[in-house]
Order: sequence, then structure tokens, then C-alpha cells
Amino acid sequence: MNISELIDDRPNEGIFRVNRAIFTDQAVFDLEMKHIFEGGWAFLGIAAQAAAPHDFFTTTVGRVPIMVQRDGSGKLRAFINSCPHKGARIAQVRQGNARVHVCPYHSWSFDSAGNSKGVKWKKAGCYSDAFDQDNHGLAPMARFAEHRGFLFGSLNPDVPSLTDHLGEAATLLDLVADQNEDGFELVPGQVTFTYEANWKLQLENCADAYHFTSTHPSYIRVLERRQSELSDDVVASVWENSDYWKEETQGVGGGSYSFAGGHVLNWGVFGVTPAIPLYERAGALAEKFGKDKRDWMFNMRNLTIFPNMQVAENASSQLRVIRPIAPNLTEMRTWCIAPKGESAAARRQRIRQYEDFFNPTGMATPDDTINYENCQIGFSSQVDPWLQSYARGMTASVQGGNTFSDRLGISPQRSVLADSQLCDETLYHSYYRAWRDLMAKGLPA
Amino acid sequence: MNSLLTQPQAEELLYREALLLDTRAFDSWLMLFTPDVEFWMPAWRDEITPTADPDTELSLIYYKGIRNLQDRVERLTSGLSTASTPPPRCSHSITNVLLLQCDAEAAQVSAVFTCHRFEPRMNRQLCFFGRYEYDLRAVADGWKIARKKIILLNDTIPTMVDIDSI
Repeated sequence: MNISELIDDRPNEGIFRVNRAIFTDQAVFDLEMKHIFEGGWAFLGIAAQAAAPHDFFTTTVGRVPIMVQRDGSGKLRAFINSCPHKGARIAQVRQGNARVHVCPYHSWSFDSAGNSKGVKWKKAGCYSDAFDQDNHGLAPMARFAEHRGFLFGSLNPDVPSLTDHLGEAATLLDLVADQNEDGFELVPGQVTFTYEANWKLQLENCADAYHFTSTHPSYIRVLERRQSELSDDVVASVWENSDYWKEETQGVGGGSYSFAGGHVLNWGVFGVTPAIPLYERAGALAEKFGKDKRDWMFNMRNLTIFPNMQVAENASSQLRVIRPIAPNLTEMRTWCIAPKGESAAARRQRIRQYEDFFNPTGMATPDDTINYENCQIGFSSQVDPWLQSYARGMTASVQGGNTFSDRLGISPQRSVLADSQLCDETLYHSYYRAWRDLMAKGLPA
Repeated sequence: MNSLLTQPQAEELLYREALLLDTRAFDSWLMLFTPDVEFWMPAWRDEITPTADPDTELSLIYYKGIRNLQDRVERLTSGLSTASTPPPRCSHSITNVLLLQCDAEAAQVSAVFTCHRFEPRMNRQLCFFGRYEYDLRAVADGWKIARKKIILLNDTIPTMVDIDSI
């Protein structure tokens, strides 16, 4: 198996195609775990998940259990959540506070900086000198770094700095971090769901402007009903106050940006409207950051930080961590991400909008995930292996940015300005070029 | 003047609701609720604590007012939702019905549920289980549901959960 058999990238001929096998093949999946998730930077969580001394939270990177912990002095670290003795998982809960972790199997213990606090019955253990040469503490992740409260780690030491990895996309994380002086937090209540399809379907769907009116007509009908019978009893929706996604809308309504490293943004103009909970801060944010950056905070934005993090600010504001489990099974950990210090009314509005749209128990996400499963079933075919879903926008994609990215001071690798019906698919190319670069360590060209 | 809710009446109301859901008689199901109904399925804050305040914490589902439940039914039955078409086959079992408190105007009832769901599309069968808490209110022609809280215990959601399978 060669990479050229999986990704057909011929920009001069206007061709970009992906082979269905990259979604189904176990060997490809194993290489993805090794070279993408365990071979480069991955998102771990946010600093507010471990806000106080000795707070910790757990996550998974590729197949590896991870614990992020703040020590007594306030320093954050990321460790492999596994006892060096027998390998047992140490922290068994999603989050907590512990000065000392005691392994439940043989009572080896560790302080909140990961140092060994004791090997049970060490003196009586008749250990050789060689044993004393080992570090009995928790193994740290090879790299760990923070950008504005967003925490990333790499199991591979041989990676560029986080600053280089995020590149220009870091400014898009700043749009989340800057919405309040006090930063941002996760609304209590984590929602986890699985779907029986490949992880890259979630990667793509977040950036997919083409599916909205096709996949979500049942939700759009609900919006139309709410619009026609304005009532205080219904969940106020961001979508019903915006026309950018409607097929009859004319002119530039948004577009896409592609960045090095596989990060992408799909965006649209929502306008500064009271339907967005941030509206109460509209004046203050314009004053502090200028109108251009303020307006970007109010734009619909679906951001993917390759390979496992997405922040969707559209119907509400969602943080997603993508965890591949098998070629045809993915776990999604999701939270409502919100600026600290917003009013009770704004927070309530944000939460209601979130549940209504984003939850796997809501009115939109199930129609996405069921379609992922339909794709996964169809991916079994190798009769026509090359998918045709990377072609829209091919003649609209330009090198560099445009007036909208200039206003934010970012320089994407490529950009597309779109009306409501263009629905760029070239932004996926960025995913698969990053994918190809990382997978090249395991697959011949 | 209403008489006090009896145990058999409480059970009958809960079983009837389950039958209406399982037979997909959603219009009749909606008739069981008061116009200002609170319909709430909390998320989980951590391994042992469901979220408790819908205004400051996330829920899996939270609606105040029958109008929002009508939206859910409209979407579910619209034929426009891939996730809802073809519909799953669901079977609720309601047990451990307890009449906790009752006066002439209001009653509180708790129960345990399991809902088995078969999805013909994926040939997939699942089971959801948890507890119900009901606030019932006396109306002219009987009792209606003024509040339904569904504590879903297995909350890692396999692809999707709609109002028909909880």
C-alpha cells in the first residue's frame, strides 16, 4: 500500500481524491494511531479543567491514557496514566483533585508532580541495584504546552514547537479565549457519544458547508416554524436569525481558510445579533479589540485543530475531542465551552441552544452521525474507490488570505470566499496533506 | 373536585405513556403533558453526579413548555430526519412505581425504566435505562404531567437518542 494509492493530489490537473480505504483499512488505522495521534501534537483539554492546585483530568491520545495534573505550585504537566509497576491505570475518573495518587493494584504512589512517593514494602523487596536506577514516577508525555489555556501534548519528542504546530490557526483559538478577560471554561456536564464510523468523518463534517440544508431539513423546518410563531416559550436559535446558509442568499456570506498542519476554518457571517449570547459583550469587545476582531467573534466559525480538536461556534459553542477507537468506531467527548463571567441569562441561552442543536439527544447531530454510519457502510466498496467529495471550490481556492483574514491579521495557506451555494470542499485537502505528511513515516510514497 | 391520585392511577398513567411512545402515537403522548411542562434529562457532571441546575449546567435534554416537545415530535415524524427514518422499534418497561407524595392538586411519582431499542437500519439493538421522576397535576379530566425528569444512567450515547427511547 502506497500513499499515492490513498490520496490522489494533482493540483495542476484540478484533481484531489481520497480512497475509501483510508476509512476502513485496519492497517491504515494502526498507522494513524502511531504516526498521527501518537506521533504528533494532540489536544488534551483546557487549563480550567484543572484550575486549582492538585486538580487533574484524564483523556486519551491515540490508544494511550493520559492524565493532566496541576501540582501544588500551580504547574501543569501531562503524564501517561499508567503505573510504571504493572501498567494499571492510575486515575480512573474524568477529573478530580489528588495530592497523591495511589495505584489501586499494588499501592505504588505518586505526588501531583508525578514523582514517586513510595514503592510499597521497598526495603523488604530484595530488589537488585538495577531497580533503583529506574525512575518509579509517572512517565511524562514527551512534550506538553499551552496556548491561551488550550493544552496540547505529544507522545513523540521529535515534533516542532506548539507555536509552530498551531501556526496562524492560534489566532482563531484566541477568538475563543478573548471573549472575556477572565478566559473561558467548560459548562459542567460532559456529553460523550460514539458512532460506528471512521474518525475522519467527524473531521470533515465540522468543515462541511455542503451538508447543512440536505442533512438537517427537519431541523430547518423547526426553525421556520419558530420564526413564524415567535414565542417566548421556544429555544431562541442563532440559525433563524441568520440567512447566510439559505440557498437564496446572494453575495459573500463566508468561506474557508486552510492552514499548514491540517488546521481548517469554515466560517460564515452571522452579524452581531442578540441571538448570540455574546451580544451583551458586543460593545466592550469592539472597544477592547476593535470592530474587526469583535465581528470575527460573532461570525459562525467551525475550527478544526488537526487531528483531534474542534471548536464549533455556530448554533452555540461546542468543544469536541475526537477519539478514534477502531476504523469503524469513534468516541466524541463534547462540552459547551463558554466565556467566564457571562450573565446568567446569556449562559442559559447558550446552554439551551447547545442542547437543542449539538447534543446526540438533540435535533441536529443525530442526522450527522447517522450519515457518517451510512458513509462507513458505503466505504466498503472498492468498485469505485475514489471519493468525489473534495472537488467543490477547486477554481475558487486561492493562495493566501483575503480581506476578511486581513481584518483578523492572519495569513492562511489558502482561502475561499463563498456565497451560500459554493460550499467549499478544498479545505479538506489541508487535512489530507497533513495526514499524508505524517503517514509518510509509515507508508511508502 | 379531584380525589387523591391512587397507586393504580399513577401506574396506569405511566404505562399509558409508555404505550403511546412505543406505538409512536406522539400526538396522544403530547396530550399527557401540561402546557408549561418541564421535560428534563440531565447530563452527568462526573461519574456519580447528574447535573442539577439546567440554567448553569448542561442537560442532555431540557425543555420548558409543550411547544418545544411539539418541535421534537414534528422533527421525529417529519420524514425529513435521516436519523428518524426508518424509525427504531422501542419497548419501554416501567417498574418500581412509587407514589411519593399526593394531595388534591399535585402528586409526585418515581419509577424505573428500561427501553429496548432495535434499529432495523443498522441491525443494532440497544438498551437504555434509568429513573423517572414525575410531577403530576390535577386537571379537570384527570391528571397531567407537569414535570418529567429522566435520569439516564447509561449516558455514553450510542450515536443518538431521541424522545422515543428514553
